[in-house]
Amino acid sequence: MKKINILLSATSISLLLLSGCAQVQRIDPNNDNGAQVMGLDYRDFNEAAGKAVQSMLKSPALDKKDGGRYVLAISDVKNDTMQHIDTDQLIKKIRIELLNSGKVFVTTAIGSKGNVDAMNKQTRELSENENFKQSSVAKKGTLIAPDMSLSGKILQRNIGIDKDKQQVEYYFMLTLTDIKTGFGVWEGETFIGKRGSAKSVAW
Amino acid sequence: MKKTGLVFILTILLFLAACASKSYVKFVDNSIDRQIEIKDVKKRVLENGFTQIQVDGINKTDKYILFKYRVVWEDKDGFEIKSLATNWSDFSAYKNANFRINIISPSKKAVEYQLYINKD
Repeated sequence: MKKINILLSATSISLLLLSGCAQVQRIDPNNDNGAQVMGLDYRDFNEAAGKAVQSMLKSPALDKKDGGRYVLAISDVKNDTMQHIDTDQLIKKIRIELLNSGKVFVTTAIGSKGNVDAMNKQTRELSENENFKQSSVAKKGTLIAPDMSLSGKILQRNIGIDKDKQQVEYYFMLTLTDIKTGFGVWEGETFIGKRGSAKSVAW
Repeated sequence: MKKTGLVFILTILLFLAACASKSYVKFVDNSIDRQIEIKDVKKRVLENGFTQIQVDGINKTDKYILFKYRVVWEDKDGFEIKSLATNWSDFSAYKNANFRINIISPSKKAVEYQLYINKD
């Protein structure tokens, strides 16, 4: 009997160890045929950012008359979903694409929390620090104020279809505002909808 | 005789000009050409210097099909310009109907493209 107990324990431990060694699969973002999830994943952010950028580039809103670049500030992008999302997952992709397009400069001197680089302010406080060569310290009045502001929100709606199924709707809503006039010069909305088991958790 | 020679040279020049273009639309899976057909591909440079391409096609089948496409952009020297367009995007092809894909280049430097179409 004692022998059987030892054998059973050894088998259980081996099984536990084996399950711990279950193969981990790395995602290939270039060819990801993995199952869809009810929550938002990187594929959804790629799609929403790609559509927003295409729409912005097609609109004349970012075409400066003299062919130069506008200065863009990133304002608040609200996460109005039930998920813990850092909206930078969306905004960072848009920022990179717009910067690379040559149509804008993105300022980090002013904007929403997370989009401001504190060094802009801190380095200017060095003007009274004699350890620093004063000619290398950024002077007052050199920061450029933004012409445009990008704001928006990500909205989620959960709708029960029946006791087994649910529908989750996501809306990526963005607005580009001309700061001088306060006019919204571009607006974009991307819808991503998912239908699946009511047991799936979308937060 | 002279006329034949001229036609031959013109044909060769046209062929070379076609080969010089690095832009194209390609089906990833060859079986797709039984379902859709590309009718026309237009390319233009907009006033702001960005390149726009428009692909017109038709779904030859009796069913709605969801496809996906991705675009690889290159500069004039053939170097790839990274952009979100290299990710797959869905497009709908309704049964027995035309479809259209319209894309703007990610920057003024992007002048050549390779557009790939695949099943979703």
